[in-house]
Amino acid sequence: MPAADDSKRKAARETIDILHEISTLLNTHLDRQSLSYCVSLIENGVNPEALAKVIQELRAQNERYEIERAETAAQ
Amino acid sequence: MPSTREERVDDALQSLLERLIPPQFEDEAEALADQRWDEANELARDLIDREPEASIADDVQHAADSIKRRLLKDTRNPERAAAFGGLYSRLLAQPVLGQKWGILYFLDRVGEGENDGGRVGRVEGGRRVQGSGDGGEGGQEEVFDEAFARHGLPRVPQGLESPRQVPLRERAVPGRPKMQAQTPEVEVVGEQEPSSGKVEPSEAALLRDLPFTLQGLSSTNLAFSDKSSLTLPTSLPVPLIALLHALAEPSLLYRSLSDFVESSDGGLVGQSLRSAIGQELRSYLGLVATLEGQIRRALAQLDESLPRGGLGKAGVTLKRCVVWTREATLGLRLMSTIVESAKGKKGGELISLIHNLATSHGDTFVYVFAERLLSNITRPFYNMLRAWVYDGELEDPYTEFFVSSNPDFEDSGATSVWEHKYLLQEGMIPSIVTSDFAQRVYLIGKSLNFIRYGCHDGAWVESYSKDTSRELKYGDTANLSQSIDEAYKTVMARLIYLMETKFALAAHLSALKKYLLLGQGDFIALLMESLASNLDRPANSQYRHTLTAQLEHAIRNSNAQFDSSDVLRRLDARMLELSHGEIGWDVFTLEYRIDSPLDVIVSPWASKQYLKIFNFLWRVKRVEFALSTTWRRVQTGARGVLSAVGDKVGEDWKAARLGLAGMVHFVNQLQYYILFEVIEASWEGLQKTIASPASGTVTLDTLIEAHTAYLRSITRKGLLGGAGGVDFTAQLHELLKLMLSYRDVVDGLYSFSVAEFTRRQELAAKIENRTRAGRWGVAESEDLTMSESPLFPGPNRGTKGGADSPLPPLLLPLTTTTGAEGEKSMLDSLRQRLISLETDFKTRVNVLLGDLAYQPDVDMRFLGVVMNFNGVYAPVRRRRQQPQQQHHHHQQVARSERSAVGKEKVGEGKE
Repeated sequence: MPAADDSKRKAARETIDILHEISTLLNTHLDRQSLSYCVSLIENGVNPEALAKVIQELRAQNERYEIERAETAAQ
Repeated sequence: MPSTREERVDDALQSLLERLIPPQFEDEAEALADQRWDEANELARDLIDREPEASIADDVQHAADSIKRRLLKDTRNPERAAAFGGLYSRLLAQPVLGQKWGILYFLDRVGEGENDGGRVGRVEGGRRVQGSGDGGEGGQEEVFDEAFARHGLPRVPQGLESPRQVPLRERAVPGRPKMQAQTPEVEVVGEQEPSSGKVEPSEAALLRDLPFTLQGLSSTNLAFSDKSSLTLPTSLPVPLIALLHALAEPSLLYRSLSDFVESSDGGLVGQSLRSAIGQELRSYLGLVATLEGQIRRALAQLDESLPRGGLGKAGVTLKRCVVWTREATLGLRLMSTIVESAKGKKGGELISLIHNLATSHGDTFVYVFAERLLSNITRPFYNMLRAWVYDGELEDPYTEFFVSSNPDFEDSGATSVWEHKYLLQEGMIPSIVTSDFAQRVYLIGKSLNFIRYGCHDGAWVESYSKDTSRELKYGDTANLSQSIDEAYKTVMARLIYLMETKFALAAHLSALKKYLLLGQGDFIALLMESLASNLDRPANSQYRHTLTAQLEHAIRNSNAQFDSSDVLRRLDARMLELSHGEIGWDVFTLEYRIDSPLDVIVSPWASKQYLKIFNFLWRVKRVEFALSTTWRRVQTGARGVLSAVGDKVGEDWKAARLGLAGMVHFVNQLQYYILFEVIEASWEGLQKTIASPASGTVTLDTLIEAHTAYLRSITRKGLLGGAGGVDFTAQLHELLKLMLSYRDVVDGLYSFSVAEFTRRQELAAKIENRTRAGRWGVAESEDLTMSESPLFPGPNRGTKGGADSPLPPLLLPLTTTTGAEGEKSMLDSLRQRLISLETDFKTRVNVLLGDLAYQPDVDMRFLGVVMNFNGVYAPVRRRRQQPQQQHHHHQQVARSERSAVGKEKVGEGKE
């Protein structure tokens, strides 16, 4: 039913808003889209710890590549 | 569109990765970018697949708290925590999200990672996979937070060596499971079991054994080595040991208490104490049963695969058991102290002990507990009380009641039943009753018993107990005191009623007064008259039947015949023990028999007192009787015979008459004093006390007391007591003896005078005859020699004179002399005797009066006054010091003469 969907969507939007604010408070540097993906992942049963680790790993990887790039660029 | 979870996850993951991983840089090779992408993908997949489940209990609150904590630590922006609080509450209100905690936790971790990831994450990226919580302050913080988590650490830190774990162990936050403390201990002990972190025996095993331990039974791990100690397995870490110590206390207490409950010495109260403690122990066992149920349920939910069996999740740990048994432990501790102090006590002492705990202990728990115990323990006490108060029976197999039966008691009559059968033990009175109450109860029971056995009125006791007996119990103090008061009044009233009516107490007391205390004058006078001649004979010639016959005669002819037959039956004439040389007067006595139960009031001592008084009064009466008969004879004779011989013995007669008069007066005054001032007055006092005693109710004790006081006052005031060192009795006896001898002398004089008279008569007759015969006068010789004085009985004259011997032995040797000389000498001796007796009498009376004047009692002083109303005697005060007697005597005489003048001030006479 469209009305229900609407309300659901509204609720979802609200929730995402709240969560985004929380994540801002916590300095997670997650943007809204990423956050929503994470939420859906977790809702689907992914281990939040593991997910957090993934995020951290990816970021670390990114940094490594950055450094590499910076180094190669410096050379 | 419906998609499987996997697909959704994949989709989401891809999108996330796209966003996170920066797109291909400008100068980056495509291969590199791809490589990056692949690496990332693989990483992500790997991670997600490897740990599908979170290893921490899902608790939204916990996650939120940890977030908040972290925010709070961030002192730069304190308002963040508040903001988070608001957001969190809004989030909770949202119905959409299912895995709130997951999200929060995730955010938390990402935030963390962001915080410290910059510092060490890159370098130790590899190691990060293995575990967090090591290296860096962030790790420490993390561990701290985890340590404080309510459900404990999510996982056992692997291979930790950091000493900073040590302070965690000392935290004693309640409810915290021992897991986090236990694990560092693992390192210290040296058991490198990084994977499991278990210790032997496991907590689960200990928990399984716990219900048995709490009941005092040995179990595999925790064995009771002997009666009072529990061995703990040595392979446990110290905190565990500490907890086990705490748990061991109730078990040991329970063991000793159950031993106590099983033991069976001590009295009824001790047994009720045991049963009360047994009840408490049963409720303790109930607690243990609940605990066991909990433990069993928890152990059933145990999952071995989780570290430490997931005991924390199940909700039952050793520490929790300590907390749950704490109150029970307090109770057990209290009970064991009570049991300790109760050793050796019984009955009322035990009740006092617990009552003390109940009233004067400050701790509410103790107070309430003691109250509970008290209502149980006092039940046997109240049973005993009830039996005692309503039946008069002592049901006390272990001598715990405060009334105890006297072990020396012999059933020798009602007196002993009253006085000696039961004793009041002060020490056994429990503090729940006052001492006054105890006295009353004692009296009630004693009276009931007495009524039943002494007065043989068991029927009334039965009906009384049936009507009024009611249940007494603790805590009902108002009711209790009321019922005791009622019982007291009823029983006492009944007792007095019985005394008055069934046993005619009043009648007997007045009969005692009439007969033994010479109240019935006409009877006594008759008795005396008829017995007088009899009793003059020696004691061994008296026969009981003659005495009894005379008694009957006297009774029949006086007003005493109108007394009830019961009274007359008890009256008896008796002879006391005789010794050599006594005459009848000394051994005669009346007797009034008293049966039980009256002999409780008229005790054997009282009977003796009565006899003593009777003896004394009888003597006085006898003297009075003797003196008055002589007086009568003298008076009548004065008109006839004596006037004729007045020339010869006229002087003597004057002196004799004076002496007689004085003595008669003395005796009369004495008698009057004793009979009226003393006896009647005391009798009045006794009647008044019986009718309305000062203490409220008339009890048997008050009656006994009143009667004893009555007798004592009679004895004291009647000059029989030896109070103050002045012995009146001896003086009076001497005086009486004197008076008797005086009377004898007067009798002698009278006989002498009569003899003289007869002689003269005969002489006159002879002269007459001679004159008629023609001769005048008589020959001189005849005149003198012819006289054979009838006073000199020849050897053939052995009439009553011999046995009589009224004459003083002094005269007997004079029988050898004959004639006028004999007469003259006899007259002289008579005269002498008269004078000496009289002076002796006078001196003694003076001494007596002197003593009387200084008595504290006003009645006795009055006696002294009355006796000396015309000042004929000069009272002399006896001095104690002997050597100064002469000197003082002179002074005395002078002073007493002065004091004799001012006799109205009796209390004067300062020495």
